[in-house]
Amino acid sequence: MTLAASVPDTWIGRLMQAVRASAKIRAVDVAREEEAVAIACGASLAGGRGAVLIQNAGLLNCGGVLAGLVELYRIPCFFIVSYRGDGRDPIYYHTPKGRVTEATLGAWRLPYALADRAEDLAAQVARGVELADESRGPYVLLITGGDLE
Amino acid sequence: MTPRKTFLEALVAMLTPRDVLVSCLGANARYLPHLAVPAPCIALCDSMGAAIPLALGMALQRPDRHVIALEGDGSLMMSPNVLATVAAARPENLTALLWVNRHYESSGGQALPAAPVDWVGLARGLGLTHVEAVADVATLRAAFPRARDARTPALLVLDVAFDPHEEIPPYSERPDEIRARFTVA
Repeated sequence: MTLAASVPDTWIGRLMQAVRASAKIRAVDVAREEEAVAIACGASLAGGRGAVLIQNAGLLNCGGVLAGLVELYRIPCFFIVSYRGDGRDPIYYHTPKGRVTEATLGAWRLPYALADRAEDLAAQVARGVELADESRGPYVLLITGGDLE
Repeated sequence: MTPRKTFLEALVAMLTPRDVLVSCLGANARYLPHLAVPAPCIALCDSMGAAIPLALGMALQRPDRHVIALEGDGSLMMSPNVLATVAAARPENLTALLWVNRHYESSGGQALPAAPVDWVGLARGLGLTHVEAVADVATLRAAFPRARDARTPALLVLDVAFDPHEEIPPYSERPDEIRARFTVA
């Protein structure tokens, strides 16, 4: 990737620290998730490769920009999304988001995978980026609590 | 007040092949295919509020090109937070032009919420330092080169006449055609 746009979440904090330390990836701190999608798309349209790092609450904000920009203009856009409220999240108030996340991804026809921490995570990211490139569209890798720690 | 097309023609006349143009949905996007734009241009037909962040991503990716975003006041009203994001990212090669006509032209000319928004003050409050109000073409012709040379993200706030009877051409290009043609060499 050449650029990663992010709105913080505890579960992606370490990942963003690594991105900030990277000499190859430009980290962009963003105020709201729809912006992150458009920024990543801009990087891709200009010859780079943009990624979006957000929480699932933010992904749920992004239906409009996914349909009206990513899908309509066929722009590769790779997401790493923290899956708050999944069965392993200890914090109760995330539960409603967890309940609707995969159903929403399905309804929006967003291709996605659940990260498997028992396997090679770097390979899973590389595969997701490749699938976004091939489809010229979005691809979401859902990560949970300890995946990136 | 100055008509939209007059502003747009004046802007296009100042562009060079080294620029990149990103237009929000609506009248600007619909006029642009009919103008001789010398720069790579991507015009949106949906996704209100996406023009400035899309341009920001391009500007960060290609610091050797100047990226110009056209955004409407209705779109920016939905997501003014993007100005803080731009201010934090500090691209030296991004100029946004905000077209303030106080109406949602694309959806039938409905008025925006009737708040007397101070866009110049808001942008400065969100961290942009190069912000200018533009009331007419002569001011635009002076302000745009200053913005391009500012070496900091710039916002020009254009006071645009709203004409409910303006004959705006329909969208004449499909997104896949626009996307296929758009490359930043």
